[in-house]
Amino acid sequence: MRYNSNNQQEFQELADWVIDQAKKAGVKDCKVNLSKRRFVEINYRDRKPEVIKEATTQGLNLEVYINNRFASQSTPDFRKSTLAGFVTDVVGSAKIMEEDPFRTLPDPKYYAGRTTNDLQLADPTQDELTPEQRHAMVKSVEDSCLEQGGSKVISVEAGEYGETHEEFVKSSNGLVGANRTTQCWTGASMTAQDEGDRRPAGYHWVGCRYREDLPSLQEVGTIAARRTLDLMGGKKIQTETLPIIIENRGVGRVLGGLFGPMSAGNIQQKRSFLTDKKGQQVGSKLFTVQDNPFLPRALGSMYYDGDGFPAKKRDLFTQGTLNEFLVDWYYSRKLGWEPTSGSISNLMIPPGTRSVDQIVKDLGRCMLITDFIGGNSNSTTGDFSVGIIGKLFDKGQFVQNVAEMNIADNHLKFWNKLVEIGNDPWIYSQTRLPSLVFDGVVVSGV
Amino acid sequence: MESLSRRKFIQRTALAGGAMLLLPGLEASMLSDNSSGNYFLKEFGIDETLCQKLLAKALSKGGDFADLYFEYSVSNYLGLEDGKVNQSYGDISLGVGIRTVKGDQIGYGFTQELTEASMMSAAATASTLCNMNATPVVTSFNRLKTGNYYPVALDFNGFPANSKLPLLQNINQKCFGLSPEVVKVNAGFQSSAKRVLIATSDGVMSEDLIPSGFVYASVVAERKCKREQSFYNLGGRRDFAFYTDDVINRVATKSVNNALKLFDAIQPPAGEMPVVLGPGVTGILLHEAIGHGMEADFNRKKISTFSTMIGKKVAEPFVTIIDDGTNLNLAGSINVDDEGTPGKKTVLVENGILTSYLHDKISAKHYGVEPTGNGRRQDFQNYPIPRMRNTYMLGGTASVDDVIRQAGNGIYVEDVSNGQVKIGEGDFAFYVSQGRLIENGKLTSPIKDVNIMGNGPKMLTNIIMAANNLEMYHGGAGQCGKNGQGVPVSFGLPTCLVKSLTVGGTQQKGGQS
Repeated sequence: MRYNSNNQQEFQELADWVIDQAKKAGVKDCKVNLSKRRFVEINYRDRKPEVIKEATTQGLNLEVYINNRFASQSTPDFRKSTLAGFVTDVVGSAKIMEEDPFRTLPDPKYYAGRTTNDLQLADPTQDELTPEQRHAMVKSVEDSCLEQGGSKVISVEAGEYGETHEEFVKSSNGLVGANRTTQCWTGASMTAQDEGDRRPAGYHWVGCRYREDLPSLQEVGTIAARRTLDLMGGKKIQTETLPIIIENRGVGRVLGGLFGPMSAGNIQQKRSFLTDKKGQQVGSKLFTVQDNPFLPRALGSMYYDGDGFPAKKRDLFTQGTLNEFLVDWYYSRKLGWEPTSGSISNLMIPPGTRSVDQIVKDLGRCMLITDFIGGNSNSTTGDFSVGIIGKLFDKGQFVQNVAEMNIADNHLKFWNKLVEIGNDPWIYSQTRLPSLVFDGVVVSGV
Repeated sequence: MESLSRRKFIQRTALAGGAMLLLPGLEASMLSDNSSGNYFLKEFGIDETLCQKLLAKALSKGGDFADLYFEYSVSNYLGLEDGKVNQSYGDISLGVGIRTVKGDQIGYGFTQELTEASMMSAAATASTLCNMNATPVVTSFNRLKTGNYYPVALDFNGFPANSKLPLLQNINQKCFGLSPEVVKVNAGFQSSAKRVLIATSDGVMSEDLIPSGFVYASVVAERKCKREQSFYNLGGRRDFAFYTDDVINRVATKSVNNALKLFDAIQPPAGEMPVVLGPGVTGILLHEAIGHGMEADFNRKKISTFSTMIGKKVAEPFVTIIDDGTNLNLAGSINVDDEGTPGKKTVLVENGILTSYLHDKISAKHYGVEPTGNGRRQDFQNYPIPRMRNTYMLGGTASVDDVIRQAGNGIYVEDVSNGQVKIGEGDFAFYVSQGRLIENGKLTSPIKDVNIMGNGPKMLTNIIMAANNLEMYHGGAGQCGKNGQGVPVSFGLPTCLVKSLTVGGTQQKGGQS
C-alpha cells in the first residue's frame, strides 16, 4: 500500500471543520493536530523471518480552552459523524476543569519567523522499497553479523523498519503547520556464548531520515557482532576512582539528567537543581552544547516546536555556562518569563580532534563505558546513579571487559570533570554527541 | 439492554471521561458478564461468522494458528498543579490486531477501522508470512469461562469527571496540611477501561473488561534552602469505589513523609555489601533479576541465562517464587491473557528448584507444555509475547529484626523507582529512592538515589534469609517495558537478605571520595 499524498488536503479540511464545530460549541480557542503513520517492520532470526508487521495508524487530537479552562482528547476516528460528538465531549471536559489564568493558546506573535529552508525531513524514495528489497536488506545485515560472530553466536536477530509520518496542526488563533517525515532503521542484535551460563547480548542499530544515508548493511551487521564479542568475559573490578570515557552513543543518557531540570515546568514546580544556575558555570570550559533544529535530514530537525513557535538554533551551554532554560508557553506565563522553546531538536557538542583510541593511550588506567543499565537521576538534587558496562584499559592496553558496575555523582560536580571531547559525534540520533572524557569518577564494583 | 451504534458508543464513552454520567444502557453494557461474549457483537457487529472469515483470511496461505484481538479502550487523566485541577486528557483506542503464527514466526497486521474491508486487509497482511495451502479454521467457537480477578461495580467511565476532582483537591489539602515544609504538590488520577474480544483459529472466544488506574501525589519539600521530592501512588485493577478517603490519606501521608525523610539522607559507601530488601515494592528485584530471564521466549531462543536451568537448584530451599495472574485487583492480574489462555498462577521456583518458564502459546508449543497464561500485549497494535503478571516470593520464617541483624553492615532498601536487566548476562540494576544504612545489625541513617547492581542467578543463590512478612505492591503506576511494549505489573517480597550486591555510591568504602 502506498502512502496517500492527499493527506495534507484532507487534514486541512478536517481541521477547519473541527475548529468550526468547537466554536459552535462555545469554544473561543482551540488547536487541532492530525497525523497518519505508515510503517513496515521485518525481523529475521536464525535466517528466517520472525516477524512481519505492517499497518497505518491515524490520530486526531483536540485541545480546547474555555475561559482559561483546558482539556485535550484524542481519537483515531476521523469521520465527521463521530467527531461532532467527540468535540462536544472535549468541550464538556474543559468546562468542569478549574480556571487557570495561565491556560491559553500562545500569543500568535510568537508563531512568526519560521525557517523557509528545506530541512529534507522526508525521503521521496521511502515508498519505493519492495518487500523483497526489505527482506534482502535484513538478510544482508544478518549474514554479516553471523559471519563476524562465528562460533560464538547463539542467536542473531536482524531487522529493518521504515516509517512515513505526516501531520497537520492548526489553531483558532493563526497557527498552521504541516510536516512529512520519514525514518528508516536497520540493525542486528547478537547473543554469544561466554563462560559458564553467561550469554552476553550486544547490538548495533542505526537510523536516519533518508535510506541512502544508512551505512553499508555489511558494516551494520559486522559492528553488531563486534560489539557483542566485546562483552565477553565482562566482570566487575575493585571500586576505584578512574578517568572514564562515555562512548558517543551513550552520552545522551547522562546528559538527559541535565536537560530535564532545564525545563521551565521543573523550574516552576521547584523540581530543578538548576533553578538559580542560569548564567553560572555548571561544567568545565569544554562543556558547550548547542540545540540545532536546522540540520538537513537530521532526526531531530524541525520547523516549529510543540507550541507552534518557530524552531531556533540555541547555545544552551557555552564553555560550561548555562545560557538558557527550555521555556514553553504555559510555564513562561507562570514564571513571568519570555518563552524560548520547551522542545529539544538536535543536541550537539562541538567535537574534539582525537579519536577514542588515541585518547585511551594517554589516559593511563581508565574505563570506556559502552552501555548503561538501570539507574536514574534526581531532577531536584542533581544526584544520579547508573549501572555501566564497558572496557578497562591501562596505558592504552586493553585489560578486561567490565560489567555489573556503577557510577554515581551529582551533575553539578560531574560536568566539571569533563576533560576532553572525542571527534566522533553519533549521527544516528537526535543527540548527535561525541564521546566524552571525565576525570576522577568513582566506579563501584567489588 | 440498549444496543448502540458505533458512532453513539464513541460519543458516549469519551464523554464519560470528561463530563457526565453515562446512560444506563451503556453502563450496563460495559459491566456485562465477562464471559458472555456479546459486547463486541452488540456494539460493533463483530459476530462469529465475521471472526471465522478473518481467521480464514489470516490462514489463507497456511500457518499453525491465527488469532484476532479486538480492543476498545477509553482512558482519562486529570491533573492538579498549584492547587487547581487544571488538566484533563483523554484517549480513545479502537482496533483489531490479527496474527498468523507458523512455528515461532509471526505475521501481524492491525487496523483502527472495524470495517470488514479494512479488517480483511489486515488479515491479508498477517497471512503474507506463509506461502502454502490454507489452514482450516474451526466452524464454531467455545466461550471461555474464566475467573474474575477484578470485579467492577463502579466503572471509571460510568462516572463524571467532576466526581473525581475532589479526590485530587483532598490530596492537595492533606499534603500541605501535613507539613509547612511542603512547597509544591502535584496530584493525578489516571483511569482506563478496556474491552477486549479474543477469537482464535482453534475455537476459543473470550471477552474481558479490564479496569486500570491509580491516584498519585508528588511532593516537593523545602528545608534550609534544600529541596527533596517524592512520589507515591495506589491503584491497580480496581474500580472507582476503591478511591476512598482512607486511600487519599495514605497517598498524601506517604508522599509527604517520604520527602521529609530525605533531608537527612546520605549516600552510602560504594562497593559490594549485604543488602536487606524491605517488603513490598522491592519485589522489583525479583522482576528484574529473575522474572525476565524466565520469560520463555528468551529461553526458547537460548538467549536467557536460565535457558539450561529447568529442574536445577537455583536458590536455597526456602525460596519459592510465583508469577500470578489471579491476585485480586493487582495491576498485573488477568482473567484471560491476550491470546485466550485463562489467567493462572505459575510457580517459577519451588523450594529452590527452577520449575517453569512463563509461556505464551508459541513457547508452550516449543517446549511441549501447556501455556501458562503469560501471553500479553500492550494493545491491538502489538502481538503478544511472554510477560510477567504479579511476581512474588513467599515468606520465610525469620523475624525482620533477625534479618537486619544478620546483615551486619550494609544497606536496607525501602523504596525503589525503576530497574533493568540484561537477559543474556543476567546482570540487573534497580534504583533505590529510599533506604537506610545498616550498621552493626541496626538501621541507622537514611540513604537515597542509589543504583544497585547484581547478577540474577548469582543473586538468587545469595538470598540467605527471608522474614514471614510478604507484602504486595498495591500501586497502579508500575509498567514493565519489553520490546517496546508496556504492560501493567505488580510484585511482592518479604523482608529478605541478599548476601552481597554492588551498591553504586559516590564514596569508596573507608571514606575515600
